[in-house]
Amino acid sequence: MQINKISVIILPLLVILMIFAGSASANEALFYKEANLIGGYSSRDHWVGKSNDLTNSIGFEDYRKFSNDYGDYLTTDLQVRLAYDSTQNSHNAWGIQIHNAWLLYKMNYAAKLRVGHFDPAFGLEPQLDTHSTILQTLMMKDIGFKKDWGVGLEGALPKFDYKLALQLGSGMGIHRRDDSFLLTSRIGTPASENFQYGISFLLGRVLESEDMKTIPQDKLLSDKAISKKRIGLDSQYLFGPYLFKGEVAYGENDSKKVLGYLGELDYTIPRYQNWELELQFQSWINKLGESSSDDSTLTLGTSYKLNQSTTLRAAFSHDFNSMGQKEDNKILLQFYFFGA
Amino acid sequence: MRKFLFSVLFLFGIYVNSFAAVGCSLDDPDRDVKRLFPESTGYLTKLLTLKEIGGEALKIKIEEKLGDKFDTVYEDLDVPYAYYIVLKGKDRIGYIHGVNQKGKFGVLQLVIAANLEGRIIAFYYQRISSPESSKFRASQFTGQFKGLSLEDFYKYNVSNNSLSEGRITKISDPSINSPEDFRATLRGIKKDLILLDEFLRGAVK
Repeated sequence: MQINKISVIILPLLVILMIFAGSASANEALFYKEANLIGGYSSRDHWVGKSNDLTNSIGFEDYRKFSNDYGDYLTTDLQVRLAYDSTQNSHNAWGIQIHNAWLLYKMNYAAKLRVGHFDPAFGLEPQLDTHSTILQTLMMKDIGFKKDWGVGLEGALPKFDYKLALQLGSGMGIHRRDDSFLLTSRIGTPASENFQYGISFLLGRVLESEDMKTIPQDKLLSDKAISKKRIGLDSQYLFGPYLFKGEVAYGENDSKKVLGYLGELDYTIPRYQNWELELQFQSWINKLGESSSDDSTLTLGTSYKLNQSTTLRAAFSHDFNSMGQKEDNKILLQFYFFGA
Repeated sequence: MRKFLFSVLFLFGIYVNSFAAVGCSLDDPDRDVKRLFPESTGYLTKLLTLKEIGGEALKIKIEEKLGDKFDTVYEDLDVPYAYYIVLKGKDRIGYIHGVNQKGKFGVLQLVIAANLEGRIIAFYYQRISSPESSKFRASQFTGQFKGLSLEDFYKYNVSNNSLSEGRITKISDPSINSPEDFRATLRGIKKDLILLDEFLRGAVK
């Protein structure tokens, strides 16, 4: 299926979201402005204007709830930003990223249908949403993107939450090549528990792209999809001022066995609770049993919430051996605004 | 064509009223509403900020009722609050409202379910970081708040943590080393009830 055929499905959805976003018919609405400024210094790349996963950007989020006499039945969310990638030439540096673009229709109290651009149901990422934080989960290394276009079914049972998603396998852009698709599922404990855990499964044929844009479309690295299979475990434990996070994913990329794992410890300073310290180690092995196929990073970070809307972050990271490249030490500073 | 559509999308976006980051909404309202009100058939979510419905004057009024100043991060004027009107068919049968409250080690998320008269029918912690969280979450503790109303909490003085009379005096701290979280819980529930009262009586939404 080529892009035009997919557009027949995707574009009507975006038109519906646009109409919702501009309409006064929503019963309740929230509108957030967002700005992300990030930069730093790397011993390998020198001055950098982005992290591995974050670029400088400005944008907005429009969140709405629709209801009738019998209650809420539909939620919509549209989160869009204009992003600048300093590693690209001036012609390719600017782009529009559609981060969230979904409709969530309530079928009953235990099942909701989601359509649009949203998280694959795999691992720690859907529980955390790291779209604005320097410290990341394994999602980018695991799948190659954090959001994808498709449909999903989700809900909450008395003891467990479940999610199931069938998506294009293309990420930020809207592509379908080489029978690409992404099927993910996760079942886990509710987010209100101090000790949370989940198990995830992934099966797909995933496309790789050069960057993270919806407009203009990001370029594919290849028209060939990568066959992926995964099983993942994730957990979080909140204890006093400490929050432990961990995840592990194991599976195959085509015929290569892959393994990734992450551990993170966050510490909220009790006396100054808008100040947090973070320590994370993550490793990704692209071909088990082969040397120089792993990418491991240790990051020490801090975040300080100036007020309800503004957060300052800083991080020092040491990249041990980035897939055969030389070691790297990096310092990043971030200003993040999300609010009125 | 697609470029045009997205240009329109941006134009729609910038004319929408602005709000700020959400305070304490329910993690999964469908499950939580059904658990708290098994007879319910639906709910309406209401979103609003103090800035919208009364601004600084309302904030001062609420601080006076609370008997304490608001925190600059957790209780900012821009914090949108979510409260839920619980329905059976088309009829209201209760309310659910949650607040963020600064605790000993981090934010507490306190949620109350109230009947139409404003009496608590259930209270629980959506988030509590205390090492003694299981004692706070235990129904032997949370169950003691059932039947209390804002009138009861007006007898609790937040600033000096004193109780003049009434049922609240019988509620004791379940923890050994976390009296700060016990006091934060009483302050948070009082704030929760005051805000819910303002939201409902204000009839802004």
